[in-house]
Amino acid sequence: MKRIICLAAVVMLLVPAFIFAGGGQEEPAADSAPAVAEPATLKFALPGNPDSLDPPMTSGTLTFQVCKSIYDTLAEPDKDSGKLVPALAESWTVSDDNLSYTFNLRKGVKFHNGDTLTSADVKATFERIMDEEGGSVQSKGMKAVTSIETPDESTVVFNLSEVYAPFLGFVSSGWCAVLPKSLIDSGHNFDSEPVGTGPFKFVEWVRDNKIILEKNADYWMAGLPMVDNVEMYIIPETSVQVQSLMAGQVDVVFIVDTDSIPMLEANPDVYLQESLTSLILVMAMNCENPVLSNVKVRQAINYAIDKQKILDIAYGGGKPINTFMDRANAYYNDVEYYTYNPEKAKALLKEAGVGDEEFELFLPQNYALHVTAGEMYQEMLSDVGLNVKIQLVDWSTWISDVYKGGKYDMTVIGHTGKLDPDGTLNGYGAGKYVKWNNEETAALLKKAATVVGYENRKPLYDQALDIMAQEVPFVYLGSSTRQTGIRNNVEGFVITPKLDTFDFRWTVVK
Amino acid sequence: MGFLLFILKRFVRLLATVLIISTIIFFVIRVIPGDPALVIAGIDASDEEIASVRAKLGTDKPIGVQYIEWLGDIVRLDFGDSMISGEPVRELIFERFPLTLSLALMGISLGILIAIPLGVVSAVRRWSAWDYFGMLFSQVGMAIPSFWLAILLLLIFAVRFPLFPLFGLGSFRHLVLPALSLGFVRAAVILRLTRASMVEELSKEYVITARAKGLTETMVKYKHALRNALIPVVTITGIQFGYMLGGAIIIEQVFSLPGLGRLFLYGIYQRDFTLVQGGVVFIAVVFSLVNFLVDVLYSVINPKIRIS
Repeated sequence: MKRIICLAAVVMLLVPAFIFAGGGQEEPAADSAPAVAEPATLKFALPGNPDSLDPPMTSGTLTFQVCKSIYDTLAEPDKDSGKLVPALAESWTVSDDNLSYTFNLRKGVKFHNGDTLTSADVKATFERIMDEEGGSVQSKGMKAVTSIETPDESTVVFNLSEVYAPFLGFVSSGWCAVLPKSLIDSGHNFDSEPVGTGPFKFVEWVRDNKIILEKNADYWMAGLPMVDNVEMYIIPETSVQVQSLMAGQVDVVFIVDTDSIPMLEANPDVYLQESLTSLILVMAMNCENPVLSNVKVRQAINYAIDKQKILDIAYGGGKPINTFMDRANAYYNDVEYYTYNPEKAKALLKEAGVGDEEFELFLPQNYALHVTAGEMYQEMLSDVGLNVKIQLVDWSTWISDVYKGGKYDMTVIGHTGKLDPDGTLNGYGAGKYVKWNNEETAALLKKAATVVGYENRKPLYDQALDIMAQEVPFVYLGSSTRQTGIRNNVEGFVITPKLDTFDFRWTVVK
Repeated sequence: MGFLLFILKRFVRLLATVLIISTIIFFVIRVIPGDPALVIAGIDASDEEIASVRAKLGTDKPIGVQYIEWLGDIVRLDFGDSMISGEPVRELIFERFPLTLSLALMGISLGILIAIPLGVVSAVRRWSAWDYFGMLFSQVGMAIPSFWLAILLLLIFAVRFPLFPLFGLGSFRHLVLPALSLGFVRAAVILRLTRASMVEELSKEYVITARAKGLTETMVKYKHALRNALIPVVTITGIQFGYMLGGAIIIEQVFSLPGLGRLFLYGIYQRDFTLVQGGVVFIAVVFSLVNFLVDVLYSVINPKIRIS
């Protein structure tokens, strides 16, 4: 009997060996053609699985980060300055009344399926976003557009019903990736088989395992991209990412967790590249809460927080901000009202008559950094006598209950960078999740979206950001720094300013 | 004939189980906070955009209508499309299942190979060095959380001595460490039970009878006693196998393996209703099948136990 069971166990043990034995041979065949240089492959650690590779159908950050290599947009932020520069559109003009945008397309650009880019592709792409039944989550950017005209093969004209300053930023964002019309018409599944004009062609996506891309030899930027293959391995555990980097199984880890930094600093094969993110890290307060609706209480809370300390310990470093805009943004308004001063916080709380009311601080449990930060906020707030209780919730609950439902007192979160300040600020002053109502701010922000030109918009945003800095519906913490771990044989790893996206076009693997 | 009736009864019971479980999961996942449309649309979406996503997903319909439609679909073995990725749920599950099944099979085999011989020896030579080793092993095995063991194994056998890869899929070598981390904990449980069950059998009267008949000690212990001792072990092993499908969630996360566990875990995180529903039904069916196999195994071990 025992023998039978042992035999069965051995057989069961071996069955999987045969199932997976086939996939083992990854080594290239013996080099019969020694003249050909070995292809350069970049191995990149991806922290999770993208929801989809169809850009306008999701809001997931990972989707846009991966799609950056596969698709192009009409314009894009420059890799150094962050200013919008031509991409698929060689140039563009805006009519005097700011109601019509004309894009002149680059000629001879080829999609990965062989189609040549024409104005019809651009029109079909944007009409797909506008389609109310299409399920696109980016249709609000096209609200002002009344028609798209294609006077010839390489010209596209967008006609707007009202002035909409964020439009150029909108069409340059990842979700406006240009797709081939022929595949849109045939109902192609871009979710899992993306086809674009980007620097890399999509080869394979094994969900939760890897995404494989290969160089697009016909790419419109001469001499780019510089690597032949990009292999992205989906590794959810940060400690495994870091170990894989040290063992050489991956070449780049996009964000190294704070705990692993000393280990990588000591490793001779790896260097760290530090960069400032475009995140706006905050602790938001629900201004409909009877106690928090008092501006004095919110000011006291701002006095109670040592921003730099939270940035350094929870987020691995960063620069504090004092209003709702990321530090490196051209629209940042450098005002400061409430510097760290716990004594003043106590005095203000006393003045406001705050007792031992309990505040619930909601933390999104899947973001370990926000959770650590939340614990620090709690400690600093209890130091000035506030009674704060932590509630851990998962991300789906956070979005529906906290962000959409407003069922919270305080919460810790980071807002991602946007190409246009309207994307960041739109809607504040008229509720949003902090339930902060301020007619002046709402009016200023509305106006700023209909005024064109940095010099005209900046004063309006300055004013709005100044009110937000005084009224503090948030504790504005700062923008964190990001440490990217890179092996010595890799150079030219680029992160797109404002969008926090990796861009492999200039990356070299030696 | 009796066997056919048994299978039929079992099948009806399985259908009832699946119906009850699917009803529970359908409503539970909709009652807890969270909405797939909000996950897809993100925090910057406008109300119109969210409505558009809901219409696309079909979650804007009344809940009763959704339930009837979904039941109608699973009767035709159609689990629908994932709300997040748009892929058919059935394909997603069948794509992932071979890996998780392999892990579970390897894990349980390792568990059996370690536990049963050691358990039997511990029982036969009670209070010997073997027995103490066996008890220490099972104490440690039950106390160690499997994710901790997984990370430890990675650090030793993939980092310090790079015998095995750190992540990914592609060869048998990728599965050794995950299977070991899964199997170790199971071995501890099975070992304890084998020992206890064997000790009990050895103290029963038929063992004395067998000895009195003049049977050799080997025959008494390994033919008569072991056969009976294995029956509770088989039951627990079957249940452990079911748990292993759940334990795979953590192991797959640590070893970056694209198995069922991770598929369902992210399905839950993102409130991918169709995926979670399909997954729960699938696991319920697998669990029922394993239980059925365990029942059949009883009669193989001891023909006196009739299936009825």
